[in-house]
Amino acid sequence: MIHVSNVSKKVMVLNAELTILESLSLKVETGESLAVIGPSGSGKSTLLGLMAGLDVPSTGTVHIAGINITEMSEESRASVRSEHVGFVFQSFHLLQSLTALENVSLPLELKNSSKPESTANHYLKRVGLKDRMHHYPRQLSGGEQQRVALARAFACRPNILFADEPTGNLDIVTGEAINNLLFELNREEGTTLVIVTHEQSLASLCSRQLHLKSGQNFTPVEEMKVKC
Amino acid sequence: MLVLQNFLRGWRGGQSKLVLASLALAVAVVTSVAFLADRVEKALIDESTAFLAADLVLESNSLIEPRLSAKAREMELQTSAMMTFVSMVYSNDEMHLASVRAIDERYPLRGELSYSMFPFSADSSAVKVAESGPPSGETWVDARILPLLKIGLGDYLEFGDIKLRVSRVLIEEPDSRGSFSFYGARILINIDDVAPAGVILEGSRVKYKLLIALRDDLNPTLLSNYREWLAERLTIHQRIIDPEMAEASIADSIDKGRKFLLLSGSVGLVLSAIALALASHQFAVDEVMQVGLFKSWGLSRGRIRRFYLVYGLVIALVGATVGICIGAAVQEILVLLLSEWLPITLPRAGLMPLLIGLGTGLFCVIGFMLPAIWHLPNLPPMTVLRKDLLVHSVARAYRGVIGMLTIALLLVWYSENLLLSASILTGLLVIAMAVAVIGLILFRLSKWFSKFLGGSWRLAFANLWRRRDQNLIQLFGFSSAIALLLTMAVVRTSLIDNWKLQLDEDTPNHFLINVAPYELTGAEALIKEYSLDTAGWYSMVRGRLREFNGEEITAERREKHESLRRELNLSWAQNLPTGNSIVAGRWWGPSSEILDSADVPVSIETDLADELGLSLGDRLTFSIGGLNFEATIASTRSLSWDNMTPNFYFLFPEGVLEEFPRTYMTSLRIPPVKKLILNDLLRSYPTIQVIELDRIIERIEKIVVQITRGVEVMTSIILICGVLVMFSAISLSMSERFHESAILRTIGSSRRLLLSIQLIEFTSLGITAGFLASLGAEIAIAMVQWLLFDSAWAFHSWIWIAGPTAGGLLIGTLGTAYSRQSTTRAPLEMLRKL
Ligand SMILES: Nc1ncnc2c1ncn2[C@@H]1O[C@H](COP(=O)(O)OP(=O)(O)O)[C@@H](O)[C@H]1O
Ligand SMILES: [Mg+2]
Repeated sequence: MIHVSNVSKKVMVLNAELTILESLSLKVETGESLAVIGPSGSGKSTLLGLMAGLDVPSTGTVHIAGINITEMSEESRASVRSEHVGFVFQSFHLLQSLTALENVSLPLELKNSSKPESTANHYLKRVGLKDRMHHYPRQLSGGEQQRVALARAFACRPNILFADEPTGNLDIVTGEAINNLLFELNREEGTTLVIVTHEQSLASLCSRQLHLKSGQNFTPVEEMKVKC
Repeated sequence: MLVLQNFLRGWRGGQSKLVLASLALAVAVVTSVAFLADRVEKALIDESTAFLAADLVLESNSLIEPRLSAKAREMELQTSAMMTFVSMVYSNDEMHLASVRAIDERYPLRGELSYSMFPFSADSSAVKVAESGPPSGETWVDARILPLLKIGLGDYLEFGDIKLRVSRVLIEEPDSRGSFSFYGARILINIDDVAPAGVILEGSRVKYKLLIALRDDLNPTLLSNYREWLAERLTIHQRIIDPEMAEASIADSIDKGRKFLLLSGSVGLVLSAIALALASHQFAVDEVMQVGLFKSWGLSRGRIRRFYLVYGLVIALVGATVGICIGAAVQEILVLLLSEWLPITLPRAGLMPLLIGLGTGLFCVIGFMLPAIWHLPNLPPMTVLRKDLLVHSVARAYRGVIGMLTIALLLVWYSENLLLSASILTGLLVIAMAVAVIGLILFRLSKWFSKFLGGSWRLAFANLWRRRDQNLIQLFGFSSAIALLLTMAVVRTSLIDNWKLQLDEDTPNHFLINVAPYELTGAEALIKEYSLDTAGWYSMVRGRLREFNGEEITAERREKHESLRRELNLSWAQNLPTGNSIVAGRWWGPSSEILDSADVPVSIETDLADELGLSLGDRLTFSIGGLNFEATIASTRSLSWDNMTPNFYFLFPEGVLEEFPRTYMTSLRIPPVKKLILNDLLRSYPTIQVIELDRIIERIEKIVVQITRGVEVMTSIILICGVLVMFSAISLSMSERFHESAILRTIGSSRRLLLSIQLIEFTSLGITAGFLASLGAEIAIAMVQWLLFDSAWAFHSWIWIAGPTAGGLLIGTLGTAYSRQSTTRAPLEMLRKL
């Protein structure tokens, strides 16, 4: 599903080149779930962005669903994202002016899918927010907000779901619940999952784990621990 | 559709409220005041057409060919014929050289002809408006002719070969100019009586007039078409008089009021434009996350651009609609307040205000909102994952330039007045530069200074520098709002003071002229007897212009210019009279210098000089009492018409006109109850001429009272605009402040500390803004007063105190109040909100 080969990412910071990732290769198969683990600042989010086609590597290539997105224009990458990719963020990124229902149905509306309302309705019920549909994000707890975000992500039925520290802003108990929900949904929908996290409990739910070391450390493919 | 939904959702969430409010206000100002200005303009023209008794007058020294009036009637214009001349009228023993106006039954086409049945009555309810003038065989006369001829109403006077019955007292014809007329008392007769009377002989000086007016329901181009047609056929004996030549003093008051409305409209427009720009900036910042999300969902750049374009369009539409409604309401209020004076015109065709409102809305969105959100579609998609990514918005400098250009265009389009626009823009530019330079220096200083402070002072002062980018924008918003409000306050006060002065209880409302030297003491005593005061006696000599630069003035030239045909009032003064100002040349020095020199200097009124094509250094020869008198133009002067004191077209130094026979004139205030003094005065001194201005002054008073009310309404609208700007500016930094407060709260800072940080920050910003605003205001005021209102510049020391004080208090309070909630909510709740 995702094929990252020999990718490095360098950025210019105050006229000096900063290497965030170097010569990294990995493959994520369809239906697989991958956890990217590492301390803060190790480049997890950067890697996630590259795999999801939000950004392009300085060198190397990234294929999503067999499409080489590195040589594409940002516009074409956008259409690849639109077709294949979904996101869940650490800080939820719900639109404050929209109700839970509207937050979920907005991407559906933008993608011109049929019956966005009822789809959104369905997924919100699925994440257990039947009674909170018309509440605004500020009226919801953190866990509830992230449920809405999960519903929003799954409602679009993406092939690959990227989650950047989905429970990073939540307490442990709530985080557990969200994790479970995420994996339940993942099983039901058969989505390929890439999760960035520093929580071992979440990582251990994934079929594979990728450890990134702090700093500009080169992270070889061999280091990937594979779990059954 | 989706955009519309999103717009409604956005509205609920409050993102676009400020954007919309400022846009609506801009549109409201444009629609209400622009149309009001239009109506005021109309009223002004009506007022001046009333002074012509028509929309257009053809004046001729010879009989007007019938085809000229026939053509007018053919074009469905209304016409009326009139003759004016001087003629002797007699009673049994007495006679008087009266100035006669002969009119037909259609006179007046504009304005009102008023009469009374009671000579010299102080009771204004005795004054009636006539449908038309006297029928054949009757005459209406100036009251003062009655004592002169020793007759009363109902008696007959002899007019040439016929007798006319004196049926009414003539109070006022619309076109009896309040200016000097040195003919005798006025009488109004029917034009059909002129021929039978046989008073017009070969060589008699008769002025023929053709009055033209347009029916209200007809297209104004008819009138201008006719005017064009007429202009091509004018002989040298004829000239066209347009309504612009209105009574100077009234026109001046109305004109100033109109300019003030225009100024306040412009200020309101600029204020709401600034509010809109600030709100758009905040809007763009708020939208970053949403755009990042759109990107992560794979929306193309084009799609996002279209989304925001349509969003802008919807905002423009909704803003314009709301604005048009507010504007209509405000206009109704204004019209209600001004109703006694403004003509009740039918509402305009519904489409025009709509189009102008929509146009303004669209233009504002293009000029202020689009540049602010232009970069949104180009945001890198990674923004969803990294908040700190640099957002390359359209560079601030470009946006500033675009914003200023938009404001300039709006101003010029709206006010159609380059001087006014230039004044406001200069003020704003000065503020922008002062903010950039002085503001930055002050922030840097405060940072340095914070090291020596403790507690909240230290944090607050450091914040000024740390948040300098945002603070500079805020500072500009605050300063321009305060500056524009100060400008309005000063201009308004000076205008109203000026009017008050003009309409002072003591403003003279009568002129006495042609008072012979031997009558002076007697007249003075009579005035004392009625316990009235004169404004001082002016002496003058009557003379005609005879030669320009040694060349006899040709008959042809005399035909063209009325001032070359009549006797002029020549007066003298050692010092430049108040209200006069030198346009070119210089006023004379000590009298000895002049008496010694061979050339006698003369100062001439500038418009007259232009009309006659005279300039500095030209030699004029006057004929005074049969003697020639030569003088050289040493200066040209402009006159002020708003103080109702005598004005002279020609002024000489003292002493040079000594040997010529002089007469005296004065002006005085005669209250209605003392009007009978005129009877006594005229009975004792029949040759004295009285010019009654009381009715004109009453009219000015009424107009001024109403304009003043309009001014107050405008002032409140401007205040709302100003507060909106401050609000927009304050909300710019709010989310950041919330965040910081939440963090400070989590680490245990007291509410008091947080509040005092906000208070110190906002108050310092306010004081700085007030100071910079005073600078901008002083410049804008100087330019407005000088360019627009022709009044002298004065330094306003109170501004420099009021500006910073008001700024500190207002912004300190508003800002702290706004950020209060950040200190009352639970910190966790605050953090989650972000
Ligand atoms: N566009 C960028 N500009 C500058 N520094 C960046 C940029 N992107 C990432 N970095 C730096 O690279 C490092 C890795 O960032 P990130 O991928 O966000 O780490 P993580 O998500 O593992 O905490 C950090 O030190 C971050 O500051
Ligand atoms: Mg990260």
